[in-house]
Amino acid sequence: MAVDELQAIIQRCQILEEADFKGEDFNLFQVAGQKCLEDGYAAQLLEVIENEKNKVIIKNMGWNLISPLVRCIFMYKQEDDKREHCLRILDQLAQLCNPKELFLGLLEQIEQTSGEQVCQTVMLLLQPLQTVLLKLQNKKAYSVGLSLAMIMNQLTPLPVPYTKQQIQEDKLGLCQCCNAVVDFAKPFVNEVVKNTEKSSEYNDMELKEELINFCMKSLKYPLLTAQLEQLEGIEEHPFRHFATEIIDILWNIGELIPLVFGHHKGRGPHWENQEFADIERKNSADSLACLAYLMYVQHFGAECFPMVFSPSYLLLCNMPHIEVLLKRTEESVLSKGLDLFESCLLRIEDNSLLHHYLEFRDFIDVPQDLVKVMTLCPMEHMRKKSLNILQLFIDKFDTEGKYTLFRCLLKTSNHAGVEGYIIKNIKDQIHIALTKEYENIWFTGHHLISLLDLVLSLPEGAETDLLQNSDRIMASLNLLRYLVLKDCEGDSQTGVWTTLGKIEQNFLKPLRVGLNMSKAHYEAEIKNKKENRKVAHSSNTVCSVTVSGEKMPAMTTGMQLQVLHSALFTFDLIESVLARVEELIEVKTKAVMDEN
Amino acid sequence: MTTDEATKSEGEVQAAALAERGEDITPSKDRGVLKIIKRPGSEDESPMIGDKVYVHYKGKLANGKKFDSSRDRNEPFIFSLGKGQVIKAWDIGVATMKKGEICYLLCKPEYAYGSAGSAPKIPSNATLFFEASNAGELVELLDFKGEDLFEDGGIIRRIKRKGEGYSNPNEGATVEIHLEGFCGGRRFDCKDVKFVVGEGEDHDIPIGIDKALEKMQRGEHCILYLSPRYGFGEAGKPKFGVQGNAELVYEVTLKSFEKAKESWEMDTKEKLEQAAVVKEKGTMYFKEGKYLQAVIQYGKIVSWLEMEYGLSEKESKASDSFLLAAFLNLAMCYLKLREYAKAVECCDKALGLDQDNEKGLYRRGEARLLMNEFELAKCDFQKVLEVNPQNKAAKSQISVCQKKTKEHNERDRRIYANMFTKFAERDAKEAASKTGVEKTAEKAACEKGSKTPG
Repeated sequence: MAVDELQAIIQRCQILEEADFKGEDFNLFQVAGQKCLEDGYAAQLLEVIENEKNKVIIKNMGWNLISPLVRCIFMYKQEDDKREHCLRILDQLAQLCNPKELFLGLLEQIEQTSGEQVCQTVMLLLQPLQTVLLKLQNKKAYSVGLSLAMIMNQLTPLPVPYTKQQIQEDKLGLCQCCNAVVDFAKPFVNEVVKNTEKSSEYNDMELKEELINFCMKSLKYPLLTAQLEQLEGIEEHPFRHFATEIIDILWNIGELIPLVFGHHKGRGPHWENQEFADIERKNSADSLACLAYLMYVQHFGAECFPMVFSPSYLLLCNMPHIEVLLKRTEESVLSKGLDLFESCLLRIEDNSLLHHYLEFRDFIDVPQDLVKVMTLCPMEHMRKKSLNILQLFIDKFDTEGKYTLFRCLLKTSNHAGVEGYIIKNIKDQIHIALTKEYENIWFTGHHLISLLDLVLSLPEGAETDLLQNSDRIMASLNLLRYLVLKDCEGDSQTGVWTTLGKIEQNFLKPLRVGLNMSKAHYEAEIKNKKENRKVAHSSNTVCSVTVSGEKMPAMTTGMQLQVLHSALFTFDLIESVLARVEELIEVKTKAVMDEN
Repeated sequence: MTTDEATKSEGEVQAAALAERGEDITPSKDRGVLKIIKRPGSEDESPMIGDKVYVHYKGKLANGKKFDSSRDRNEPFIFSLGKGQVIKAWDIGVATMKKGEICYLLCKPEYAYGSAGSAPKIPSNATLFFEASNAGELVELLDFKGEDLFEDGGIIRRIKRKGEGYSNPNEGATVEIHLEGFCGGRRFDCKDVKFVVGEGEDHDIPIGIDKALEKMQRGEHCILYLSPRYGFGEAGKPKFGVQGNAELVYEVTLKSFEKAKESWEMDTKEKLEQAAVVKEKGTMYFKEGKYLQAVIQYGKIVSWLEMEYGLSEKESKASDSFLLAAFLNLAMCYLKLREYAKAVECCDKALGLDQDNEKGLYRRGEARLLMNEFELAKCDFQKVLEVNPQNKAAKSQISVCQKKTKEHNERDRRIYANMFTKFAERDAKEAASKTGVEKTAEKAACEKGSKTPG
């Protein structure tokens, strides 16, 4: 019987000195112990372990039981007495065993678990692991770091609950587990704090670095992908709680402000290999961006944040983080980027951001990323939000800044809709320049003319695809109409009248030619289609369209005709505005000629 | 009266005193920032613009509520003065302080967070007080230092008069400056000069001035302390009677400048035209041994063309040939400047464009040889010979590599021979003192055992 076998080996070892234990004894002890557990004699095993006489044996051999013990605990139901016994065995082992070996045994268990059992296993073993780590004499910082890294690596593949329902359900126990891990880390944080208080010279750099690594990892996963907005009906939002705790740790060990403001020096080893250094920087970029989101959007740690920085400087500091977040496509991350950008912009007064900020690479790159979100993101609310933020960004700049930004966006956006939007903004700025009293040199005179050169032109002359570019062309025509209506030729504040020849040459003339060509082409096509319809009703599929792997139904001739007609309608619209502009120009020029 | 009310009334009293007796220190005299000195400074010197300043402070809102204190963070607050890093009131206020001074500041919203406020602590249109608590803390100027422009101690700037606006000349900008150069208290140069940033050498202006100009604003008047590396280097400047390795001091006024176009402002045609011009210039500097200046010129080609997309076939051919020449020449400059890792990087890029480029392979070989990577260097020289069997230099470099490898191996052998005997001795000692080794062995044995029955 299992218990007898165990008793036999125990009795044999009781009389031996610690140093005389043999490999064979370890083996027999483990086999017998495992058998006891498997056959349901946990109570008896507990008795053996609690026996004072067996202290030395357990100290040396006990760690071997961890693996079967964990298996058994998961086998028994929650309210089973045997499970209770097993848990007490685990507790006893943590107290009695050699810390070094038990540490490795526990870590091995965590390493081996996977899938749905990860959180359960981690939560089961955190308490003994903490007990053991606190008893460790050597390499403690390293071991704490190793444990935290191992746990976080095991958790990382798990999906992060995102919706309110998923968070409440917490199917895999991730929410609960994360907060348990923070509690696990607390005594070590306290140790660092105590050491720092004792003397400012003595700094437990090693343990501190390990804790920073843990915080950085936690910021990247799960916090970067987690939903961190307050949720109605959940009093203690688990991830908000987790975030608060992580920020508390960073604050307590005195690293929060240095991390947020990039003053943190000499983090980690100096990598000789450029590639490693790049990976390290990239890794911490995600974490730092998440930290910025937590501090500026969710106001975690606001209590300790210096309140004398100027809003534009804060934007400057956050631009790299915003850039990192906007380059991602996951809703959870991207939305954090948009929120962070918005929050930074809202602190700034309109027209007060100085144009020299555009000399920073990020200030040119980020709006371009924003344009990508606006045009390519599949989620409508994100597209809308990013458009609003672009407008906010434009509004914050001084006139020269707006001017430079418009130039840059016109050249880089490659999207007729966005270009149309920028042109509308240019029109608004000219309107302000013409109606306000003070002089505005950027949206009148020669600066404006050079901007108009960009606006009032067709990218590929008469061959430009007018349908594709219709948004841009309509906006340009509207702007021109506004200019000729508003700016009397006499004072020509905007300079539009002096540059009319060029506009005619680069814009109006090719547009007219293009319109005639396009209309003729589409009309011919319609005629063709109609005749074809009469000839053959069947097999008129020219090509097929696939959208995300699904084949779209072929367009019927009727649908094709509809599309062609709507194109013609667009051309008509352009033509009518063009005609109106030409008429206005003619009337005004004539009036002036008559006067002379 | 509760404590809350007590602090509130205290706050009001001090605010009232400030509003009544405070000195208006705003340039426009709109009473936006008022100051009372509580303790005068210990020295007469005030910080200059751009200086790194260290302060302790405590800030309260009009209702007496404390919103921030550097004491809570147990460390002084550090920022660059006059750079817009902090609220306007502070850039103005701290600039008036002397070292060791303690003062009260009252800041109107226009000089603080304005109508936008600053979530979550500062509401819209808030007036801020930086003022005394019971412990007597307020704004205290602890220390300040000149600005270290490149964080390497090479160029220290102290601004005498701040420039207008915020834009700086970039590389390639045309600047008009007045400068006076001093060495050991002797003035060796004084002139008004117009030149292109990055090409100061043409006018006997050291590279440190070019670099510093990129951080200056129109109208700025500053003093620059240059280390020899940013000055006239090891060679000195006989024309001015400046010895080698001399520390220089310059007073520079940036009178005006015209910026060079940014990369995104130029179209491909313009970039290709300019690339030809700067390539010439770079080669001229290189021939004169002015490698830092040459790097600037070749670097422009890379910044303009490396990321240029959507080129026509003809343009792309021209662009590739410029880039190849730029990378090869940059590699040569870095070899001369003894920055071998950068030289290798440039060669790699050149070879990315043309994998059998003889110069690229040869220069990478040279750089690697100088970095003591003999095997890799040998490979490069061998590849040179594959491309051009007539290359005599490569042949002789291969034998250099072999010789060096041999020397190196012998030296290693000697070092390691010593090391191994030492290790052996130490291990023997440890084995004697510890039984731990056995225990790990035991554990390994047990693990093996556990796996067989299971």
